[in-house]
Amino acid sequence: MPNLFILTLQLAVVLAACRVVGWLFQRIGQPKVVGEMFAGIALGPSLLGWIAPHASAYLFPPSSLGFLNALSQVGVVVFMFLVGLGINPGELKKEGHAAVLTSHVSITAPFVLAAFLSLYLYPRLSDDRVHFTSFALFMGAAMSITAFPVLARILDERNMLRSRLGTVAIACAAVDDVTGWCILAYIVVLIRSAHSAHSIWLTIGGILVFGLAMIHGVRRLLRGFESVYRKKGAISENLMALMLLLVLASSLFTEYLGIHLLFGAFLMGAIMPKEAKFVRYVLDRFETITVTLLLPLFFAFTGLRTNIAAVKGPEMWMYCGLIILVATLGKLGGSTLASWLSGMPLREAAGLGTLMNTRGLMELVILNIGLDIGVISPALFSMMVMMALFTTFMTTPVLSLICPREMLERGKIEAERLAPAVSLREGEGAAA
Amino acid sequence: MSSTNKRFVVAYILLVGLPLAGLAGVLKSGRHLSAPISIDGTWKVEANASASSDACLKAASSLLASNLVISQSGKTLSLNFNSGAKTPFSGALEGRDINASLGAASECANDQAVTLAASVDPKSDPKSLSGTLSVDNCPSCSPVAFHAVRQPKPAQSGGGH
Repeated sequence: MPNLFILTLQLAVVLAACRVVGWLFQRIGQPKVVGEMFAGIALGPSLLGWIAPHASAYLFPPSSLGFLNALSQVGVVVFMFLVGLGINPGELKKEGHAAVLTSHVSITAPFVLAAFLSLYLYPRLSDDRVHFTSFALFMGAAMSITAFPVLARILDERNMLRSRLGTVAIACAAVDDVTGWCILAYIVVLIRSAHSAHSIWLTIGGILVFGLAMIHGVRRLLRGFESVYRKKGAISENLMALMLLLVLASSLFTEYLGIHLLFGAFLMGAIMPKEAKFVRYVLDRFETITVTLLLPLFFAFTGLRTNIAAVKGPEMWMYCGLIILVATLGKLGGSTLASWLSGMPLREAAGLGTLMNTRGLMELVILNIGLDIGVISPALFSMMVMMALFTTFMTTPVLSLICPREMLERGKIEAERLAPAVSLREGEGAAA
Repeated sequence: MSSTNKRFVVAYILLVGLPLAGLAGVLKSGRHLSAPISIDGTWKVEANASASSDACLKAASSLLASNLVISQSGKTLSLNFNSGAKTPFSGALEGRDINASLGAASECANDQAVTLAASVDPKSDPKSLSGTLSVDNCPSCSPVAFHAVRQPKPAQSGGGH
């Protein structure tokens, strides 16, 4: 049984810390979610456990972490559904060849560079229980992800969602996320099947059948939700509960198949109807509790697993620096180069590269999966968390430097092109 | 095919196709790399009792009454005993040898450091390690020998068909 006093105290402290730090970060021009990520890290051994070990031990006793984790995972499941709901890779087609090239290069460049870096890091930061292929593929997937929701929030705060830069960035980020999650699913299957009595092909076959059934079968049924919304302008509580049940069922199925709960939630969101008002309506219903309460718990839980003190000595800090450098070079550099070669002006191309380099919460989700399945070590986890914080934090100031507001005004396009993804901008929850 | 499409195809091959070929090469060459042996996890410890009257060694050897938890990042180790000891041993793995030291224990004098040296037997299944716990600068302290066996990891949630 959980100690309800401690659990409630944890909720209160995490909520307060995230609100205060989020507000402080907003004051310095950062999206609130960046502050919340930092607050989570501060509540862990990296800061609170270091300066006030007794308070930390009282507030987060090891026996309580299972409950905190369970609550935070529920939040992440719903959040991944909302991320899937908000993305629309079909938007990429509207943006033409340039966006397709930019999107694919923004995945391959960091992926390949991360694989090269893995040649150096694997003998130093891994162990023989992890195969090099799993290690390299995981590093590639983790470095090539873009935090779609944080990106939408940054673009909204800078009034860039309807600019050419904004629409291309949103479309590319959506494709990046879908691709990244597919690769990650493969890695999870690869690793889990090594410890399972079942053949990997059975697992992959099951996933393919499930994916096809979702895309070609369940997707059609989901249109019913949109039809009801169109007729009545609202969806009843019973139907919302049914939607949530479908998310949970999909999550359980992917977990059963040997991948992860989150893939099912993401897939269910991705195949939902994409009509802008409907998407906004569903987001509004789910976001408040998820983003205000449950996601901060995930930040705190991630913070409790992150120990910057594990990065000891100049050698380890050099590894950390290399990770940040390679991640930035691959994502920012690759996206900039591809969009510039596709005909985008250099400054705008650099702005797009900067936006694509935002990793935020999506990175933390992936890293937690990596640590859970044992493909990355605790020290590497801490380094990658620092990389996620660094690349997310740098986005706003670097973007201001490269793309001043008046330049972006020139690139504005018609409001009619408002994509479903764009609807993420309105709610505070989109900050996540 | 229009010239725009041709340019797109060329750019796509150069910027996406070639790097992917490079990735295949990296994955192939990386298969030959070896990483340090895996020793992370919980180890059940069995130790001889210490006959020493030295407070530092007594405190150190009392640690051996509980499980040893090793957190590994490549060659870098953090060793903790489930005894409630606040400060973990930090150490390194060289081949099969573990060397770790505990910074400052309250029972020890300033010049006394607790050192753990052990060797992993990689052939045993489950893995086991044997070693000693000793106190530096303590002529009367004879090292305490111990033996530990790695405990199976708790089953991961999910993936359970």
